[in-house]
Amino acid sequence: MGSLRGKLSHTLGVRREYVSEFDPTLPVRAKHGDEQAFIGIVEFYYPRCLRFARNMIGSEQDAEEAVQDTFVRVHDSFSRFDEDSRFDPWLFRILANRCRTLMARNRRRQSLIEYGEIPISASAEPEVGADWAEEVQVVLNSLPMEQREAFLLRHVEDLSYEDIAAMTGVGLSALRMRVKRACDTLRARLD
Amino acid sequence: MIEERDELVDRAARALSAMSPVKAGAVARVLMAVRASKVRPQPAWKRSVRWLEDASVSARAAGMLVAASLVVGFVLRGTVDVAGYSTQALSETPVALQTISDAGAESRGVPVAMVFELANAKSVAVVGDFNGWDPAATPMQRVGEDGPWSATLLAKPGRHTYAFLVDGSTLVADPLAAKATSPDFGGDASVMMVRTP
Repeated sequence: MGSLRGKLSHTLGVRREYVSEFDPTLPVRAKHGDEQAFIGIVEFYYPRCLRFARNMIGSEQDAEEAVQDTFVRVHDSFSRFDEDSRFDPWLFRILANRCRTLMARNRRRQSLIEYGEIPISASAEPEVGADWAEEVQVVLNSLPMEQREAFLLRHVEDLSYEDIAAMTGVGLSALRMRVKRACDTLRARLD
Repeated sequence: MIEERDELVDRAARALSAMSPVKAGAVARVLMAVRASKVRPQPAWKRSVRWLEDASVSARAAGMLVAASLVVGFVLRGTVDVAGYSTQALSETPVALQTISDAGAESRGVPVAMVFELANAKSVAVVGDFNGWDPAATPMQRVGEDGPWSATLLAKPGRHTYAFLVDGSTLVADPLAAKATSPDFGGDASVMMVRTP
């Protein structure tokens, strides 16, 4: 095992994939005060929540803040979690609310930016030569917030329309329309 | 309404499905934030709402609890200091851990982020006196397809011995931490100090 020396953790900023399996008992145990269960939830969902927040907000730093706030609120609100309900929609409802709050804060900040200091990320057109993922992100950022959120929840986070409707309080047909319009825009801009 | 998905939308969704990089110690920082929110005094209206929500708590008991929490909150504010194991490991100093300290550290344990690299392992778990050397208590998760192994555990403040259990059978001491001079379990082990403020 001598070969291990010096190999430990140069890993800040590494990519983390899903933890392979989620123990469905974790939310109930965490609700009843099992802190190791709460750690298990954070370990499992952190990467996925970070992905959603990054896609929604467009800023890595703000995304991390949104995710951290989300888990604080999850921990504080566990008494209101219905044990017979699925955990994902409840978690993503809190996360989506945090993202909206941060985006509103950012909009207020941006309104204070003087002419000539508009950030590059405000550009709505894909840059020539940008790779595919960047182009997709630019088009996504140009979508109205409601369409972006509905598209991400449905097609990236793979939640059902019924779950998204329960989370957001928006009717099924309106949700489908938001997703459809998002897809139409992606198609028109990326094709 | 027609199904909105097609090949191009699928490609876009796949591009957006890439996971964001997660910084080592992120989970420990979340736990830190959770605990920090507990010691922060709440506004008066929130305390009132919570008291009203819990009809089983008498007014006298609630008042005492609020007063006590205020005292604890003011005493402990600003004492929180967080850093992950991996940050310490990067500096290659012999002490294994930096710690997160908060009001509940004595009773609940301090969140400690651990990262261990062994490319060809099939499974890794952290075992130590803080989890009764239980191989199932703290499994580590692989970061990416061939990245390091990561876990967050709770350890009470003080000195702890620990090791990494590789593939369920081989105990490996932490190569960058101090060696335990008298391991509790008869094999290689390391020492970490989990500190309070």
